[in-house]
Amino acid sequence: MKSSLWPGIKLVFTKEFTLGLRFKAAWWAMLMFALTTLACVSMALQGAPLEPKLAAALLWIILFFASMAGADRSFADEDMAGTLPTLKLYGAAQMVLWGKLLYTGFLLLCLTVFIAPLFLLLTGAEVVLGGVFLGTLLLGTLGISAAGTLIAALTCGAQVKSGLFSILMLPVILPVFLPAIFLTAGALGGGSAPLSYLIGMALYDGVLLMGASVLFDYLWYED
Amino acid sequence: MRAILGLLTLLVLGLVFFVVPPAEGLGYYVRLAFFHIPVAWVAVLAFFISAFEGGRFLQKGEMMADAKSAAAAQLGFFFVILATVSGAVFSKLTWGAYWNWDPRQTTIFVLLLIYGAYLTLRGAMPAGRKRAKAAAVYALFSFLTVPFLVFIIPRLYFSLHPSPVINGSGLAMDTVMLIVLIAALVDVTGIFYGLYKWQVKRLLAEEVDVCAK
Repeated sequence: MKSSLWPGIKLVFTKEFTLGLRFKAAWWAMLMFALTTLACVSMALQGAPLEPKLAAALLWIILFFASMAGADRSFADEDMAGTLPTLKLYGAAQMVLWGKLLYTGFLLLCLTVFIAPLFLLLTGAEVVLGGVFLGTLLLGTLGISAAGTLIAALTCGAQVKSGLFSILMLPVILPVFLPAIFLTAGALGGGSAPLSYLIGMALYDGVLLMGASVLFDYLWYED
Repeated sequence: MRAILGLLTLLVLGLVFFVVPPAEGLGYYVRLAFFHIPVAWVAVLAFFISAFEGGRFLQKGEMMADAKSAAAAQLGFFFVILATVSGAVFSKLTWGAYWNWDPRQTTIFVLLLIYGAYLTLRGAMPAGRKRAKAAAVYALFSFLTVPFLVFIIPRLYFSLHPSPVINGSGLAMDTVMLIVLIAALVDVTGIFYGLYKWQVKRLLAEEVDVCAK
């Protein structure tokens, strides 16, 4: 990333953040979705103990689908408001991509910080390996942000949007999703948590970021 | 071409049902492998072609490359369903369960999800360059999963799958079976190629129709 890009990225991030604070729709959608799902899980369990593997899978399912409720709006909202052509006119592709990606990452991190402790509290799961747990959450969030931003741009012109984002996201995010569940289970005391999986997740995140950066130019600029 | 493929198909069927000996531990169930392995191979091949042609479209902007990418994905979806179903039947016959998230079952299932997602994306967008661009970007973006599907996901699950035909110690198959398998691979690849050419023509004609309207 060129250093001259940074002011533009900051501008896009600030714009997203200000709009997010003003309208809050995406924030509420994500937080309430996560809370509702978590409440469903917790009520269904009625305090029964959860196997670490099952707890890990449930946590990631909640995070994944809650993130879908907010991450898919980054370009669709601009398209609906009619601001996309202006952004295309003044914003270079990489500035827009990285600015929106940072904002999505920030949004998902806030969601994770809100939902993970609540999940542990309500399900009674205990973290045995704190570092692995935090590292997995961080890398998982990064992967979802990277793939989510590009896919949000892809689905922008689609006639049928409902569900499309999750359909496109799941296969791409599986190489992050599956090790994340495996590592989280390990962090909750359910088996091993090999460092190589964390490295694998970090590598895949890097590949997703690079792929999104290279491919976004084709979507952003008209022929 | 059609006549040669027809003859080859008959020959392969004859070899599978009358020449191939029963395999150790599998008996005559091994016959299913001569259908399952070739269709799985074609499903993977179609995925590579779809991504490659998607890349060509992004570079050159030719609608022909888009049609080729879409045709490969459509046929790939068909072949990946055949591979998944035949794999599940094979799994039931040999391991007692239709599905057990074996690493290769997982990989083929992810491929099925990718093809499904690609086709859903195309279906959700109006025909034209914008759809072609989005589809090409998704074909390439989903292609990034391949190394991880091959190297990481298989380590997450226990496998009952037999080792590959060509493994670290060389060729691990009876000579007759190997020859029949190669013939079946050539035959199914040929069938895919014939269908692919036909589908590309059909998609290009459809695109011309839409543009004319």
